[in-house]
Amino acid sequence: MTLRHKVDSQPAFVLHAYPHRETSLIVEVFSRDFGRVALLARGARRPRSVLRGLLLGFQPLELGWAGKGEVQTLMKAEWQGGQPLLAGKALLCGYYLNELLMYLLPREDPHERLFSVYAETLRRFAGGMLESDLRRFERALLQELGYGLTLESDARGVPLDANGYYAYEIERGFVSLQRPGSSALSVSGKTLLDLAREDFSDPSSLAEAKQLMRALIAHYTGGAGLKTRKIFMELQEL
Amino acid sequence: MSTPSSLESLIEALRCLPGIGPKSAQRMAYYLMQRDRSGAQRLADSLSLALGALRHCQRCNTFTEAEICDRCLSSKRDASLLCVVETPVDMNMMEQTHAYSGLYYVLMGRVSPLDGIGPRELGLDQLLARACDGLVQEVILATNFTNEGEVTAHYLSEMLKNHAIRVSRIARGVPVGGELEYVDSGTLAQAVRERRSLSE
Ligand SMILES: [Zn+2]
Repeated sequence: MTLRHKVDSQPAFVLHAYPHRETSLIVEVFSRDFGRVALLARGARRPRSVLRGLLLGFQPLELGWAGKGEVQTLMKAEWQGGQPLLAGKALLCGYYLNELLMYLLPREDPHERLFSVYAETLRRFAGGMLESDLRRFERALLQELGYGLTLESDARGVPLDANGYYAYEIERGFVSLQRPGSSALSVSGKTLLDLAREDFSDPSSLAEAKQLMRALIAHYTGGAGLKTRKIFMELQEL
Repeated sequence: MSTPSSLESLIEALRCLPGIGPKSAQRMAYYLMQRDRSGAQRLADSLSLALGALRHCQRCNTFTEAEICDRCLSSKRDASLLCVVETPVDMNMMEQTHAYSGLYYVLMGRVSPLDGIGPRELGLDQLLARACDGLVQEVILATNFTNEGEVTAHYLSEMLKNHAIRVSRIARGVPVGGELEYVDSGTLAQAVRERRSLSE
């Protein structure tokens, strides 16, 4: 994107920030109308900077920026409020969401619906993290990014059968199986239909949906292994 | 005109400092060699002295020249309290309060999931061993109130909860002498959420 533009009062969240030069930060943000954008926050690491403490992840902000090229200049940041700080396991899961967005969301590709699902997920996290919140976010992410997670019919267009078993073939869709477990990635029709309706009341659907999402995300992130997952596991080993 | 190789390697070496790019490194190298050769000598001497003499205290992990630092050996400190901070600077800030007389553990960093820094990278098992010396009764988590500081505190509390040690977190809220009119909204919002009861 070479167009010079100026953006005002744009709802956004900080995904990650890196130190830049002696006193500045490069901030990766997820904005409502412009998607993921990298912004230079000049002087944000100076002791008395108004930006210090404001550019905090998981907090709704309104940002203004201007410039051209890959890294634009942050001009203004305002705290919006309404989102309690995340703590404990919910905070770790917040990092997981951010890592997914950093990996999978291309720069300057707006995804307004995903933005609102993200904000909604963080609001739910404030009351304690639930597995179903993660599944809902992962599903929205894969659908919004055009990975074509079709949950109503199989790869041949036949409606899914709640009593059937399916294997997921990447880029193709769900393929009916003769019997459960005959593929490494086998899920029941019921799990898929529950996922489509976002009905997570059945624990076995929720558990299967987790395995399915893990496999899909591992594929789309190039199998590199997510940093947040590694750290999550280290916590469990303590 | 080509740059002599010793000058080039000096420029390259200076670039290891945070925030120093090739241009600043070049400026620093020329300055040292041209304007302040005695300063350059002092810098070289103290660098190699520090490299040879400084190590991490076996108990608190801060920099010291001995196996165990003076503070950890002092009999005036309360050995039942262990305060965990991110950096030596944070430890100095705590000392300036004169409100704390226990001992410290300096993490020399914090957990940062998106940078791949977890318990292993921080060597949290060393802290666990320190906290389980039999004398420590309470661990006070004084990591920063950033998301990284919070996630670090979460790890530590999970790690310590199975070891019969009391774990506490320093409080956050409106600064002393702070007038609500001038306090930032984020701080005030969290102070309301974390309000405490005055009636027992
Ligand atoms: Zn010590």
